[in-house]
Amino acid sequence: MTLQTSPEEPAPLRQVARILNDYIGRLGSIWVEGQIAQLRRRPGAQQYLTLRDTDEQFSVSVVISAAALDAVTPAIEEGQRVVVFAKPEYWASQGTLHLRAREIRPVGVGTLLEQLERLKQVLTAEGLFSPDRKKPLPFLPRRIGLICGRAAAAKDDVLVNSRLRWPGVSFEVREVAVQGVACVTEVTEALAELDGLADIDVIVIARGGGSFEDLLPFSNEALIRAVSKCRTPVVSAIGHEQDSPLLDLVADLRASTPTDAAKRIVPDVGEELRAIAQLQQRGHRVVSNRVEQDTRFIDESRRRIRSTITSRVQHGLVEIDQLSARVRALSPAATLDRGYAVVQFAHSVVRDPQEVPVDGELRIRVAHGELTATRTKDGS
Amino acid sequence: MTKTNPPGEISYEDARAALTEVVKSLEAGGISLEESLALWERGEQLAATCRAWLEGAQTRLESAPE
Repeated sequence: MTLQTSPEEPAPLRQVARILNDYIGRLGSIWVEGQIAQLRRRPGAQQYLTLRDTDEQFSVSVVISAAALDAVTPAIEEGQRVVVFAKPEYWASQGTLHLRAREIRPVGVGTLLEQLERLKQVLTAEGLFSPDRKKPLPFLPRRIGLICGRAAAAKDDVLVNSRLRWPGVSFEVREVAVQGVACVTEVTEALAELDGLADIDVIVIARGGGSFEDLLPFSNEALIRAVSKCRTPVVSAIGHEQDSPLLDLVADLRASTPTDAAKRIVPDVGEELRAIAQLQQRGHRVVSNRVEQDTRFIDESRRRIRSTITSRVQHGLVEIDQLSARVRALSPAATLDRGYAVVQFAHSVVRDPQEVPVDGELRIRVAHGELTATRTKDGS
Repeated sequence: MTKTNPPGEISYEDARAALTEVVKSLEAGGISLEESLALWERGEQLAATCRAWLEGAQTRLESAPE
């Protein structure tokens, strides 16, 4: 049904209201799941409550008879997950919309567990919990993002224990609702904000133990997907005994408690100093051993070189003496020693006076040297 | 050692080899008096060169720190 309207021929509001009522009425009675965001009991036959989506910021008013509400045991409370059988109604006199519920049922733990298991299977199949998606934690983070409850013990557990280990540790704390209807939205927003800060190297989501229902937000699909998309490594530190929330599976590291998280995110300064001192000692020992060893090697090498050369020189002297003695023995030196002399003229030995002309220059070789002489005329 | 010798100066190894040659020639015999005289004089010279080199080495060894 469409209305043809113009500024000259507008539709009267009553007509619009009837059309809206008609539209909305066509949806009929349906089963709706959500979480009780607000419930204030008041005297009277009609009770009003606000139903909110479990993941996103969608709310709607619900009107229910006091009798239908009282029929549920244990009594419905704020924060609880419920399904209602309701028909949407447009309240024309006020211009408001609400669900008129005929029946309300709490979502039981069994049902929630089933839903959780189904979600876990879907996310596992998608690979969100896969070990190769886990990012390693930095050895020493520049700053740590901490998401925790307001004035919570979990916050102090993380802060105090981290500072004991590494006094210089720096935190960026975001206090948010860690249970109830606002939890998923607030945690997800804080996560996105901290992930966007450049010097935040790791993010811890901490909460003390709680009931199964209290911890349900930490298994919420939207939150789990937000964690898996984080560029910064995320540590889950939710105190719990048995059913671990899905956050533990998607987190890059799962700490058993907020105190345990402190141990995982910063190194122990004392331990590190001791380890460094030990390494230093070992390094020093290795170097000094090496220097000692090499010094010995060089001393030994010098000694060997010296002794080799010395012995070669000695040997050489002996050898030269022997060679020189043999030269002497085989030469005419021995004959000359006995007083003989060799007379040479023009490099030849003189055997006949005729070989030498008058004034001829003679070389006379004797044992210890040589002398020169000149032939005179009467030498015949 | 040979390579570090200044030009014109005979190395220890060469001097020693030449001295050995002189001895061999003298031992072989059948040479003239002139030749044996010349060989003897050359042998004396070569032996002096070798001895000077060896004594120099010895001095250097002794002056080096232990």
